[in-house]
Amino acid sequence: MTCPHLEYRESDGEAAFETARAFCTVTGEFVQPMRADICNDRYDLDHAAHCEIYRDHEGEP
Amino acid sequence: MSYDRYLDGDPVIVTAALTGGVHGKEAHPDLPETPAEIGRAAAAAEDAGAAVVHVHARRPNGERSFATERFQAIDDEIRERTDDVVIQHSTGGTGVPVEKRARPLRTDPAPEMASLDMGPLNRYDHLTSENTRATVDALHEEMAERGIKPELEVFNDGHRNEVYGLLDRREVADPVYATLIFGPGTLTRPTPRNFLTAVDDLPAGALFNTLGFGRHQLPFAAMGVLFGGHVRVGLEDNVYYRRGELAESNAQLVERVVDLAATLGRPVASPAQAREILGL
Repeated sequence: MTCPHLEYRESDGEAAFETARAFCTVTGEFVQPMRADICNDRYDLDHAAHCEIYRDHEGEP
Repeated sequence: MSYDRYLDGDPVIVTAALTGGVHGKEAHPDLPETPAEIGRAAAAAEDAGAAVVHVHARRPNGERSFATERFQAIDDEIRERTDDVVIQHSTGGTGVPVEKRARPLRTDPAPEMASLDMGPLNRYDHLTSENTRATVDALHEEMAERGIKPELEVFNDGHRNEVYGLLDRREVADPVYATLIFGPGTLTRPTPRNFLTAVDDLPAGALFNTLGFGRHQLPFAAMGVLFGGHVRVGLEDNVYYRRGELAESNAQLVERVVDLAATLGRPVASPAQAREILGL
């Protein structure tokens, strides 16, 4: 399961891209490509375990 | 003493880290991500004086790719657009199985060089790039089989122990080539004293490359030039030219360090000279 706060957008009103990129709806910002691997739970990565933004949002230490 | 290499006027190899795998166009709108963009950036960097280009591969949306085909597309673009530059692939990865991290080594032809991370590195608040010794050994083994020169990435002081350990465990082709990395977080703290300690503590005969992250890129490149090392610059490691001002391009960062080397009286290595120095 990918992060529920992940969206793919081409623009955030300021920056615009030819290809839709990972956007975090919690921070309201495009995320670093490396962080997008966490958002997507790729490889051995898990947003619930590895993303401090998700964990803070969910009230987890 | 590495300073003798400066006094002797040994050429300095400039590596351009063109794209990276952490940040992308959200950090710098002109950071090259596609194979064509990376190819054009490699050509401009070579024209500016880079002998080596360090590359990662990305998906069309900028996210990391470990696919051999994606690295092949990048190499094809670089070879079409450059004269003679040395191609160095990244094998770095966080939470990525070693089998995937080995895929960049399987292009045809193989890259002349590839990075080999010497140990763990913290990422964000809840994640570590593990780089176990088993991973290091597996990647090194495939590099050796394919005739690929490892660039040993030394993220912190403990990783120098790992370099010695690797030399004990494996036959690493001479000359040993280690990139000393300075910056925040798990990296070696960026101080001149730490730089000198790292240089003095390398295995006998080892050559070193100097990498400072962010605002440390220029001063550590200067120290690398003065103390007989080699230097790495580029948008992977630093997107700014000076405080508050984005760099125009990778080539601009290369030009600055080439000018710096010229001012300090050290010639810049051509790709052919880089191959000779590194034993490629």
